Amino acid sequence: MGYEFITVDVEPPIATVTLNRPKVLNALSPELVGEVNQALRELDADERVRAVVLTGGAKVFAAGADIGDMAERTAVEQLSRDQTGRWVGIAAFTKPLIGAVNGYALGGGCELALMCDMIIAGDSARFGQPEINLGIIPGAGGTQRWPRTAGKYAAMEAVLTGAAITATRAKELGIANKVVPAEMTIEVAKRIARQLAEKAPLALRMAKEAVLKAFESPLAEGLVAERKSFYFLFSTEDQKEGMRAFLEKRKAVFKGR
Amino acid sequence: MATGVEEHVIVHVHDGVGLIRLNKPERMNAIGALMRKQLSDAIKQAERDDAVRVVVLTGSGRAFCSGADVTEMVTEGGGGMRTSEDVGNVLRNEYMPMLTRLRTMPKPVIAAMNGPAAGIGASYALACDIRIATPEAYLLEAFVNIGLAPDGGVSWLLPRMAGTGVAYEMFFTGKPLSAVDAHRLGIVNRLVPADRLEAEVRELANHLVTQPRQAMAAAKRAVNHALESSFEEALEFESYLQESQAWSPEFAEGVQAFLARRTKK
Repeated sequence: MGYEFITVDVEPPIATVTLNRPKVLNALSPELVGEVNQALRELDADERVRAVVLTGGAKVFAAGADIGDMAERTAVEQLSRDQTGRWVGIAAFTKPLIGAVNGYALGGGCELALMCDMIIAGDSARFGQPEINLGIIPGAGGTQRWPRTAGKYAAMEAVLTGAAITATRAKELGIANKVVPAEMTIEVAKRIARQLAEKAPLALRMAKEAVLKAFESPLAEGLVAERKSFYFLFSTEDQKEGMRAFLEKRKAVFKGR
Repeated sequence: MATGVEEHVIVHVHDGVGLIRLNKPERMNAIGALMRKQLSDAIKQAERDDAVRVVVLTGSGRAFCSGADVTEMVTEGGGGMRTSEDVGNVLRNEYMPMLTRLRTMPKPVIAAMNGPAAGIGASYALACDIRIATPEAYLLEAFVNIGLAPDGGVSWLLPRMAGTGVAYEMFFTGKPLSAVDAHRLGIVNRLVPADRLEAEVRELANHLVTQPRQAMAAAKRAVNHALESSFEEALEFESYLQESQAWSPEFAEGVQAFLARRTKK
């Protein structure tokens, strides 16, 4: 389907979703978020696609939400628009989602980046939650995902001061996996996606689910879930193929079965 | 600039070279509030201006820059530095962005050290990418002599350039490091007689103007990244930078020129 605020390039076995409102630095309107959601739903169902890159392009990831649009809104209006509720679909994406971040990832843009499974940061990347400067707080997971990755103190600094951090600092804090020259960010993310696309899709899905489970549950519960997935994977053709290929010293070909 | 406003910084752009000259020779180019503002504008403009491919920073008269204008700090309304917090704020809000910009702007920055560079003046010289100095020039971290600590990034820059021993000696004794010694230590790239300084700097700047600008910018990014990363991280960052450079028109042209020269032989 056609999109107005994003572009979707499917190059099997990967796909790239690019936020595409450059005039407003990819400000996250409900419509844009809705399209990202929709695209990821479709890509999740698309068997040709095994990993996805999410980016804002060469210059900017996303510099927050439409403030002009929000300034005069009431709490009830804001609630009924359920702007942040729309993000649930992004978090529910089951395949690896690689964020390729150049320039500003601020406010909702930063929260969107933090929903990715890995983040490749260009050296121009800046991550921040400036909501506090507008008399509000992050509303799409910022206060929850920052401490879970960067720890309490870095999270507090980010959400209380509103100051953005550099790509290098983000890497130190464990938010970014890699810092690369900005003109290479998307390419590097695509390469990682292609590498992941060669792995067993069901194992990728279970692995992602298990890691995310760590943020949602006590250790004992997470370990049980992990073990169940581990056993389950022995029922797949890909496990047989993977282990046979290893023993036969050849490259495995996984089918997602 | 509006007439009637003193020009404490003179900017001259010619043939790709942006010359920024500190211009308060009667005070050895000491930096007061007005010069801070004008210098900040000049550095920003030099970064933005595509016509500027190489930046040269120098001083009028005998000195490169004698540091913060201490006289102004105690008179003339304090020059924006009435309290100790003001001192910190000026460092954080004014000097920090300027010095960072010199180190990170995607073009070479040369310090033409026509004379002494003291205090924050030394910081400007050291934040440049390359230094060319006359034998009369020196670097001075005089902070300790008036009971202050090093600032303007020298606690980071000097140990990296010359090791902690040299840095500490300067910070503890408050005695100058002559350009001759700085040259020996590798802090100053070239030592040239005063009457040759301008020509030598111009020659280097003109040469750099003809060098591929994206490749030089990439070198600066690589160095700045490497200074904050492990060897492995630096190698990886370089590899990606090289990839993007390898499909640039600069590389295509460079290879062409290289091959052409070889076939000429």
